[in-house]
Amino acid sequence: MTVRHEAGQRLRRLLAVLTWLARVRRAPVAELAERFGMSPEDLVADLELAACCGLPPYTPDQLMEIMVDEHEVVAELGDELAQPRRLTPAEGFALAASGRAILATPGSDPDGALARALDKLDAALGAAGSLRIDLGGDPHLAELRRAVDEGRQLRVRYYSLSSDEETERVVDPWALVALDGRWYLDAWCHRADSERRFRVDRLVDVAQTGDVVDHPAPADGAAMGDAPEGPAAFVPGPDAVVAEVLVDPAGMWLVEAVPTLSVEPARGGRTTVRLAVASTVWFERLLLRLGPHAEVRGPKELVGAGRSAAERLLERYREAVPPAD
Amino acid sequence: MVDRLERLTNLVLVLLRDERPKSLREIADEVPGYPSEGEARRQAFERDKRSLREGGIVVTTTPIEGPDQIGYLIRPDDFYLPALDLDADEQAALNLAVAGVHLGDPSGRDALWRLGLPAPVGARPVADIKALPGLPALWDALRAGAVVEFGYRGERRHVAPALLRFRGGWWYLVGFDVDKDAGRTFRVDRMDDVPRPGPAGSARLPDAFDPEAALPDEPWRMGEDEPERVELLAGPEVAALVEQQMRSASVLERRDDGSVVLALEVTNVDALRSWLLELGEHVVVLGPPDVRAAMVDWLTSLVDRPPPTRGVGRSKAGAS
Repeated sequence: MTVRHEAGQRLRRLLAVLTWLARVRRAPVAELAERFGMSPEDLVADLELAACCGLPPYTPDQLMEIMVDEHEVVAELGDELAQPRRLTPAEGFALAASGRAILATPGSDPDGALARALDKLDAALGAAGSLRIDLGGDPHLAELRRAVDEGRQLRVRYYSLSSDEETERVVDPWALVALDGRWYLDAWCHRADSERRFRVDRLVDVAQTGDVVDHPAPADGAAMGDAPEGPAAFVPGPDAVVAEVLVDPAGMWLVEAVPTLSVEPARGGRTTVRLAVASTVWFERLLLRLGPHAEVRGPKELVGAGRSAAERLLERYREAVPPAD
Repeated sequence: MVDRLERLTNLVLVLLRDERPKSLREIADEVPGYPSEGEARRQAFERDKRSLREGGIVVTTTPIEGPDQIGYLIRPDDFYLPALDLDADEQAALNLAVAGVHLGDPSGRDALWRLGLPAPVGARPVADIKALPGLPALWDALRAGAVVEFGYRGERRHVAPALLRFRGGWWYLVGFDVDKDAGRTFRVDRMDDVPRPGPAGSARLPDAFDPEAALPDEPWRMGEDEPERVELLAGPEVAALVEQQMRSASVLERRDDGSVVLALEVTNVDALRSWLLELGEHVVVLGPPDVRAAMVDWLTSLVDRPPPTRGVGRSKAGAS
């Protein structure tokens, strides 16, 4: 990060603090520091500096009125600084998109406070009707939402892609999460006796058991699968095997679709992708979808995975003869 | 030595104070900390303007009378938003929304800061709608009613934007392609570069244009293939799941072993193939013959692998 960049960021944050102070007039140092993600020392230093800013001739009556002691900040900054400021396109987009995304989650109130706030924002920004967010529908979402909100235990039938089995499980639902165009249910699974993330579109049947959950969600919100930089749908376990796959340009969707360990250019316009494989069934189906656009280079036990899966499916095609016209 | 942040803060206050543009000389007289020598002063000021821009503050440059010729100001309209009049519930809702959505950058938080709303504190994300570099520019063009130009599949496109749409994990721009004189949908992550907006108000959409109609629900209907009625046999292991997920399909037959025969309309055979193969050997395409044959060819290409040296070019022949 360059020094110049840092100055822009510091100014952005200082103005944010001043806008907030102009509205509340008085705030504890610790609370302000937490709210704006800075150390109390940096906050006090920046505010002391701001107290020396103002307009020429920089006599005391022309400076910003900010008093800082070790516990509290008191400021009299006037109405002007308290006004909301113009958003950059990135900020305006982020705010509108976040709000519209939450409105698109099941169970949100289309006429509630968020909808009203977004309408006001759209009106001020001239952006009405510019965004439409669809997080995907699923027949079970409403039922799952209700169970999560009310802390109700569920009995589900789940088709697991990684084991190719349909199983019945009792789960304590914690949260619904929309990732990469799919819904996931985070829950405590009594069958596995641990936390699990289920794909909602693989739930075949959902019913309440009549009991309340007995494993509540972790309070800090740090559920499994939450990588430091954000949520991820898949985290390789310690048993995963690392596969090396060579894909051509038409198979490069692989890089977007699954978490990869490395992606490197190879000869002939192809790309070497390394990925963690925790389930052979999952990997076989990935190879079926990649078809002629991928070639497994290793490890040895996975080199023939695509071929054997294709042979099994072709056998089904020979059995399932279409009706004669 | 004046702290850089102090000079920047004073600069903002001075440029905002009255609506008259000020020359650099006047600015340097009023804001402490600029070098006295001409060229060094100019460089320091240019650097400050860049920092302000990075902080999201627009400095307007405009011609003025007198020897200095160029003046600078921050227009109040560029700096302030009209009052939003958000009540406490509405403010809280916006905070929760920003905390609940993972975009991959801090723009949402910065937006709340700039509106003078409290920053969110640790909530669990409920949705991930990945931010892409092109999105802010497209959103801004939509607001301004500006035609956008971008590269797509190696071609320059000029599009009157109608809607940014998130669906199935991807962002789409729905709009009217000016050169092709037709409605089009573009995947934003597949744009070759960050879209450049033309002049505000340059975008014209035909009266009958309906951006909502442009994107159907199911992946196998998001395409421009000739519509085909495809029949599938779903094995007992996945029959209930397939029936539930393929909402537009109709059931033709339920067999004693628990398997189901379904029919559905398809305009994107590649997407159908990908969806079906995720269910492994449990679903078979019964017809029509060309779709079934294409599926068999695809699978056969996995069994009779071409030697590695032949690689890329064969794929087309296998899929057609």
